[in-house]
Amino acid sequence: MKEWIVRLAAEIAPSGSEGRITSVLLDAVQDIADETHMDALGNAIATKRGEGPHVMIAAHMDEPGVMVIDIDDDGFLRVIPTGGLTASEAAFRQVAFTNGTVGLVCLEDGEKRPEQFEQLFVDIGAKHRQEAESRAFIGLGGVLGTGVADIGNGRLLGRALDNRVGCAIALHAFRELAQLGRYVSVVFTAQNAPGARAAQAAAFALEPDLAIVVDGVPASDVPGGKRTALKLGAGPAFKVMDAGTVAPLSVKQLIEDAADALGLTLQYEVWPGGRSDTGAIQLTREGILAAGISYPVHTAGAAEALVDLADVEATLRLLVAAVQTFGQ
Amino acid sequence: MLLKTLSEAFGPTGFEDDVRNVIRGELDGRVDEMNTDVLGNLIAVKGAKKPGPKVMLDAHMDEVGLMIVQICDGGAESGLLKFRALGGIDPRVLVSKPVLIGPDRIPGVIGAKPVHLQAPEERQKPIPMDKLYIDIGAKDAADAKAVVKPGDAAVFATRYAEFGDRAAKGKSFDDRVGCALLVEAMQTEVPYPLYGAFTVQEEIGLRGARAAAYQIQPDIAIALEGTVCFDVVGAPSHGQSTVFGKGPALTVQDAQTIADRRFAEFMWETAKRHGIPVQWRRVKGGSNDFGAIHRVGKGIVGGSISVPVRYIHAPTQVVSLDDVENAGRLLRAVLQEIAEGSFTL
Repeated sequence: MKEWIVRLAAEIAPSGSEGRITSVLLDAVQDIADETHMDALGNAIATKRGEGPHVMIAAHMDEPGVMVIDIDDDGFLRVIPTGGLTASEAAFRQVAFTNGTVGLVCLEDGEKRPEQFEQLFVDIGAKHRQEAESRAFIGLGGVLGTGVADIGNGRLLGRALDNRVGCAIALHAFRELAQLGRYVSVVFTAQNAPGARAAQAAAFALEPDLAIVVDGVPASDVPGGKRTALKLGAGPAFKVMDAGTVAPLSVKQLIEDAADALGLTLQYEVWPGGRSDTGAIQLTREGILAAGISYPVHTAGAAEALVDLADVEATLRLLVAAVQTFGQ
Repeated sequence: MLLKTLSEAFGPTGFEDDVRNVIRGELDGRVDEMNTDVLGNLIAVKGAKKPGPKVMLDAHMDEVGLMIVQICDGGAESGLLKFRALGGIDPRVLVSKPVLIGPDRIPGVIGAKPVHLQAPEERQKPIPMDKLYIDIGAKDAADAKAVVKPGDAAVFATRYAEFGDRAAKGKSFDDRVGCALLVEAMQTEVPYPLYGAFTVQEEIGLRGARAAAYQIQPDIAIALEGTVCFDVVGAPSHGQSTVFGKGPALTVQDAQTIADRRFAEFMWETAKRHGIPVQWRRVKGGSNDFGAIHRVGKGIVGGSISVPVRYIHAPTQVVSLDDVENAGRLLRAVLQEIAEGSFTL
């Protein structure tokens, strides 16, 4: 599992530019899936037909990033955010673009502090426009932050862990359930960070009987943490509500029963500010039964996150057990 | 001239009938069928039974406007009209502008306190919308109520005119320029099903386009738009969005869409191959109908072709007729290349 997390986190996949990680993920399920494809919005989808109701497992594969929007005569780039990155998060950091170009995000001279992307420019070391245009183009996506570090205590820190951890869990769960002969689809969703834009298209196409979404949730056991009682290392959380969904009681019961059967302690996520794929999927077609299972992270939705591997393992077990319990 | 007729037609958000009638008249007998859906979208169809990808072209009929919410009764205000914006309007552009109200096109003027009477601090800040009113020359409330009702909509009374070097000024080029391009495109012959969606209520949240895309279920969709252009005094390259006269603009990302890179590049390369000037739209803010369309159903591939519009959402907007013409050329080239299989789904 850890190897997969590290491998997936190494891919650069800002929202809307998920191309490469899509291939990595679909290659990882090709041998066991009946069919795989990428849809019009960039979702990577695999299905294995089998017994029982059709369950869709989803995890978003994109991460917040930036996109080149202008190149000037002196070879400097201007960027806009894709997803929720703020100018202050982006300033003074390295940016790695999907084509291998690397640059430094700088603040215009005379500006006191970075408040808007208009104040920032990216220096890729180009001497003039022509050189910059050979290494970057308008629409090129990039990300901030550095690779994964094992910081001990079973914890990992690094870029895109939210939600490559979810992708690794979904990948393992899909393989396990497919081997058990269940009718299961996995969707690695695109464009979650700008507002859960793609998940509903996959749900529309698959029409599952149940969808379970795996994503990170901010833990509150930090200085100034909000009163959510979510702790890192205390196990998976069931999404009771966020800005886009309230869980149906039947779904809550399903997850609680699965946790009980495994002897797992379940945490409860109430995140009024969070907008997830769960809500987008739930409101697709005539309504789809949808559950969110989350692993706690420190700093969700940012360039980098910190996770606990014990939470990750427990989230995988809970997910597999919940799918097996469903419809029995 | 169609752009003039469309530009001068009355079509604030939710009141698109006049524009729709102009378009119906233009396309009558030139397409296989036309239907108006329950939201008011006009859908024109050509070759529905043909093989090949189903292509939807979109242009919104509505324009930003005003809605009368109250007819003042009593006192010095009696007979003056209070209003709210339909769509995104900067209150600073409203003062002293002539407008036309409701189905009878009652003329009015947006009034405000004259400069002589303003206190020094009043002169420093813009007048908010709730302090502005429309004067229709009524002698009292009863007089006004005889011709205007709350809920009536108003548009700027700007006439279309051509001036300077291939420039045109008028109201509502966002998005009558798209409507004009779409009317023209629906008269081209293509070997696949072609749907033209003239949509409603774009300016208050892309509301009509979603229903249009849902019923059409296209394989490819292209929105035709008028977009932000600020290539004027003091705007740095990254603050311009688009440059006037440099051709139609293609989107990489706006407030509602991260473009399908493959389709955007297909359109860009098509422009280059056909010798048509083209530019990237270089700003994140703003959006168009494709933002709603691409998320419908199983997800829809496509993008948008935008004409730069200076002073967009203001009473007098300015377009380059060369940009309009080149947007039309690009659209025809893209439709032709789709027919030749240059873009694979």
